[in-house]
This record gives sequence, C-alpha cells and structure tokens, in this order.
Amino acid sequence: MTFLLLSALTLIQTPSQWVLDSSTLRFHVSHPLHQVDGVSHAARGRGVCQARSCVFLIAVPIKSFDSGDSNRDLHMLQTTRGGQFPIVTVRTQLPEGATRSDTVYADLEIEFAGQTAHYARVPFHVVMDGDEARVSGTIPATISDFKIDRPTLLTIPIKNEIPVYVESTWHREK
Amino acid sequence: MSSRASGCTRVILFTLALSGTLRAQGTLSGTVTAPSGAVVPNAKVSLKRIADGLTTETRTDSGGSYKVPDLRPGDYELSVAAEGYRPSTVTVTMVAGVNQTNDVQLRPLLSLEDLGFSAAQTRGSAEEQARLDKRSHMLKVHQRLGLITAIPLAATVITGTFAGGRATTSTTRDVHAVLGSLTAGLYFTSASFAIFAPKIPGTRVHGPIRLHKALAWIHGPGMILTPVLGAMAFAQRSRGERVHGIASAHSVVAVVTAAAYGASILSVSLKF
Repeated sequence: MTFLLLSALTLIQTPSQWVLDSSTLRFHVSHPLHQVDGVSHAARGRGVCQARSCVFLIAVPIKSFDSGDSNRDLHMLQTTRGGQFPIVTVRTQLPEGATRSDTVYADLEIEFAGQTAHYARVPFHVVMDGDEARVSGTIPATISDFKIDRPTLLTIPIKNEIPVYVESTWHREK
Repeated sequence: MSSRASGCTRVILFTLALSGTLRAQGTLSGTVTAPSGAVVPNAKVSLKRIADGLTTETRTDSGGSYKVPDLRPGDYELSVAAEGYRPSTVTVTMVAGVNQTNDVQLRPLLSLEDLGFSAAQTRGSAEEQARLDKRSHMLKVHQRLGLITAIPLAATVITGTFAGGRATTSTTRDVHAVLGSLTAGLYFTSASFAIFAPKIPGTRVHGPIRLHKALAWIHGPGMILTPVLGAMAFAQRSRGERVHGIASAHSVVAVVTAAAYGASILSVSLKF
C-alpha cells in the first residue's frame, strides 16, 4: 500500500494534479522462525487538488508483492483473498494548510482483502524539491483490521501486526 | 356595500387560489452518501427547474440530508457537489402535491481507471480464489502429513540399525518392516496432495520452494527403492541367508532417502 503526501500549503492553494513516479512498498510479517518482507514497486497514484483540499488515490496489485518465495507469495495471495480482491487502495484527503512542517499527519482509508479500514493521523515525512515530493512513512496495519485469518507455519501463527513501509516520489502536473 | 362584498370575494378567491397552488407544490428531500455509505455533510445541492432555469440551492446537514420545499410540478435538474467527489446530476420530475425522496450516492473524485488500471486488472475472480483456496488447503494437508510422516520414518531408521546383522530376531525385522510400510503409505499420501494441488498460471517459481521440490527427486525415488530393496533383504534373512547383492544397498538408500526428506522439511521451515 502506498501513500503519498504533499506539502499541503504549497500545492493545495494552486489547482493541480500530482502523479506518483516511483514507489517502494514493503510489508513485514513476523514469525518465530521467519521474518519476512514482501516488496512491491508497482503502485500507481494520483492526487487532485481542489479549492480547499487535495484528494489522493494510490493502488497496488497484491500479486506484485515479492517476498523471495513464490510459494509463500501464493499463500499470501490466497489468505488475503487476492483472487477476489486483486487491488489494494489507499484514499486520503488533506485539508488546506494541513501542515507547514516536514511531517504530515494523514487519515487513511484502506481497502484490502474486501474490507475497509481507517487509520487516523498516520505520520509521513515529506521532502519537497520544486515540483517533486518525496514521501516516506509507515502504515500500522494489522491482519485483524481486514478480517484475515492469520497464516501458520508448523502450526505457529504469524504476528497480527504487519506494518507497511512506504517510500514514494511524486511530481506535480500543471 | 357592494364594494365591500366584492373585496371580500376577491380575498376569498385569492385564498382559494393560493391554497390550490400550495397543494400543487411538493418537497424534494434525500440523503447524500459516499460510496462507503457514510453521509456527506455540507454538500451543495442545486435544483434547477428545466422549464425556466429557476435554481434553488441548499446544503446537506450534518446527517447528509437535504430538503427543498415549495416545488411546482415539472422537471428539475438535481445537482450535488462535494469536495473529494465527482459532481452528480440527475433529472427529477415533481408531481403536483407529492413529496419525493431522492437519495444520491456520490462517486469518488479519483477511480482506479484514472490510475491506468484496466477493468480486467481490478476485477476479481471467484474462480481464481477458489483455485487458490484449494491449492492452499491441499498444501496444508501435504505439510501436516509430511511432518507426521517424519515420526515413523525416524522410527524405521532407528529400528533398521537393529534389524540387520546375524544376531537380529525376526520380531525386530517385522517391526522394522511394519514401520517402513507405514512410512511409505503416509509418504505417498502426503506426496499426492502436493502433486495434485492446483497450479497457478503465470507464477514464476523462486525461493526455498525450488530446493524443496528438487529434494523430492531424491527422496521420491528413494521411497520407492528402499522398500523394494528392503523386501529383498527381508526375504534373504528369512531364508537364513546373509543380505547380499543389490539388497545390501537397502540401508544406504534408506539413509540417503531419510536425509533428503529431513532436508526437505528444513528447506521450507528455516531461513538459511
């Protein structure tokens, strides 16, 4: 799941669109025998700024995550109901003047595995460079938020917490 | 007197006309919601009478509800706009004296199509999910049976160290043979779940699973050869002979098979 942030003061006041150039999304799964990271670079995103706010949508196919083991990735696909719900989406809206600092707090609406979960005030670090923005942060997702059965290995289940680390680069379209 | 009477008459007639007009008017109300079902407060609601372009505007309240009273019969264009959503426009026909309800669900400003995803990419498939479910279920059975098989396999190897040689008894050999048969039965049952689990098209096989599958080419044939050689050795010993010929390879093949089997379990259990 990718999430982008833009310096609200700079871009919200001017009608504009933002486009996701590149991203790295990494989910982390903990098990006593294994620590697993699944990585995707296939996210797509766009932001539309209106009078008083910017609306963002980011989406990534679940199949695009690679943990280094195709058997595990297929099991993850099955467990997260990826056959029926192949895309993870993240929506957020930033009000005008959301922040004047390098850290933006965003309320996220995430659709995953056929469920919708809300995360309030998730901090993201933003670095502006002209019309380019680099955004990074961690989404504190859990398996139970999306009503997913916890997978097991040798009858031991994985941890409920599956934080998602986000790094993304955006550019503004005029 | 007559002027007063005509004045009263005009008032009465006017009142009657007015009440008739009011009875002919209606109220349009409704609730504005987001795709998630959440209400949308402070949405701008515009109602334009198509006949003459007369427009009435209002906003939804905290509960997402709007209400536009005193509408004459006719066609209207109902437009709803809110930040973060696409504007919505529908045509509503007001009927004389009838109050109507028109709920509006707004669409998000951005959709997956705006990101360049095709319908095929975003559309899920119950059939594919069923295939994934069946695959996971069968591999889960394979995993559990495989772990269970390790127990009689270990017992077979241990009893095998006492089953060979001249000083062994037929009882020891019988126990070893029974354990071996049990191991073989569980092994091939476990293997069948892995072999016949549905394959998922378009998947590139990579990671520890490749080693796990490669080791199967060692312990698979070994699980066939070991009982065959074991049966030959059993027959020789039962006739009072020393184990000789190809039957003497039984223990070596069995140990290699067991080692490959153990490595196969470890390849998908531990991170190397």
